[in-house]
Amino acid sequence: MTAMPTVRETSHLRSAAVAARVGRWLGICFGIAFLTGLVSHYAQNPSQPIPFPTSPAWGYRLTQGLHVTTGIACIPLLLVKLWSVLPLLVRGLPADWAGRARDGAERASIAVLVSASVFLLVTGLLNSTQWYPWDFSFRRSHYALAWVATGALLLHLAVKLPTIREALGRDVDDTALDRPGAVARGGLSRRGLLRSTWVAAGLAVLATAGSTVPWLRRVSVLGVRSGDGPGGVPVNRTASAAGVVESAQSPAYRLVVGYAGTTVSLTRDDLLAMPQRSEGLPIACVEGWSASAVWTGVRLRDLLDLVDAPRGAEVEVTSLQERGAFRATLLQENFADDDRTLVALALSGEPLDLDHGYPARLIAPNRPGVLQTKWLSRLEAVT
Amino acid sequence: MSGGEPGRVSPGRAVLGAAGVLLTAYGVWLLLSRQDLERNLDVALWLAGGVLVHDVLLGSVVIVVSLLATRLLPAVARPAAGAGLVVLGSLTLLAVPFLGGFGRENAPDNPTLLDRDYTAGYLVLVATVIIVVVLPVLLHSLRARREQR
Repeated sequence: MTAMPTVRETSHLRSAAVAARVGRWLGICFGIAFLTGLVSHYAQNPSQPIPFPTSPAWGYRLTQGLHVTTGIACIPLLLVKLWSVLPLLVRGLPADWAGRARDGAERASIAVLVSASVFLLVTGLLNSTQWYPWDFSFRRSHYALAWVATGALLLHLAVKLPTIREALGRDVDDTALDRPGAVARGGLSRRGLLRSTWVAAGLAVLATAGSTVPWLRRVSVLGVRSGDGPGGVPVNRTASAAGVVESAQSPAYRLVVGYAGTTVSLTRDDLLAMPQRSEGLPIACVEGWSASAVWTGVRLRDLLDLVDAPRGAEVEVTSLQERGAFRATLLQENFADDDRTLVALALSGEPLDLDHGYPARLIAPNRPGVLQTKWLSRLEAVT
Repeated sequence: MSGGEPGRVSPGRAVLGAAGVLLTAYGVWLLLSRQDLERNLDVALWLAGGVLVHDVLLGSVVIVVSLLATRLLPAVARPAAGAGLVVLGSLTLLAVPFLGGFGRENAPDNPTLLDRDYTAGYLVLVATVIIVVVLPVLLHSLRARREQR
């Protein structure tokens, strides 16, 4: 410790004891958010060397709910963590050049860690409310910076490991690791600060998690969705936003099913005349909200049989939408062959609402919401 | 506090640090290779802007509020004010995109997005924090002072 305090910052709360304890939970939440984020990106990847499983049907609902929830919990944790280490930002430079080089490298790695972490939490929060005040691709940037932040976090842990071990091994009020002069008391105790931080993180979770945990719906006063919507399911993208209001209601509508040059064109009435199945499946949006509902329609496999598509074929799914990244998606073979995968015509016993994908939409188990294609126009089996 | 004795790094820490550098490099490569320069400049702006807004703007607000609290509040009320600042401050930042409802402007035809009364919800949250955090801490401080006398 050759650093000289350049400002008079004397609060005993800003200490390794507090930073290590908040940092532990911040690291756990960041780790869960990183791993569940990887799951989500993998699930959206058209090419999957290891097939993404179709069971449990609620798997993606759980991982993406955890992703957003742990991210929200990180907001108070990161604020308190950064506050607790602020004196390190304004510490003086070491006297020798080797020390200065080391100090500079550490500061640079912390700058990367802090800027990437703040970026992830801010863009993630705004994205969950569908607010995009930027020009970059959220998906790509959030993903790339998650790797940057996780790498910088591992490096930070490697550098700080002895201090973290020592701080966590001592009592929270132990002053052995404190900055000299950090003795000002009078406000909160360290235990009080930690307790307030846990309460803040807990309330942040309770206030938002109702968008994915039904029994929290009433208490989640900051939920992005109340859970209401046509058929009891919220809508992510409306028919008018997708530009399909006319084509979806046109008498000329046909669902085309094809395989190897054979095609069948079906009206909605043709689909309704086929054997109808009902499945209770969740719709789980990448933005973190989810809802379970009973969908009724034709089993996808029954439609593929009309054109003699063999088991093990992938299905290119196309929507009536004319634009958008998810206008055409690929349904992998295990999803195509799963008996629960439906071309849904009804939701909660009512005909599908226009905003839920009327005349027909895809619904499959354990699949990100963006890939549950609405306003189906074509299903092409490929082997 | 530069973390342990320099020059003596255990193999475990060295591997952890090296893995960290590799992951960061992979992330930077992902960022640069999958998006054009113009968009990445916007990413850079948000990266730097986030730190600046946090360190300068938010940092100053917290310092001014803390100074005011220590000057104006009686000592017995300071722990309660501190707890209130931690909990309400972070929840208020979280509430900004909800209270502003900016996402609704991108999807004016979607009545299921941001479909709660967030002003009322935020006020309920503030009241809850005052009842479950601020008042108990204040009562605890008052009781501790009475016992000291």
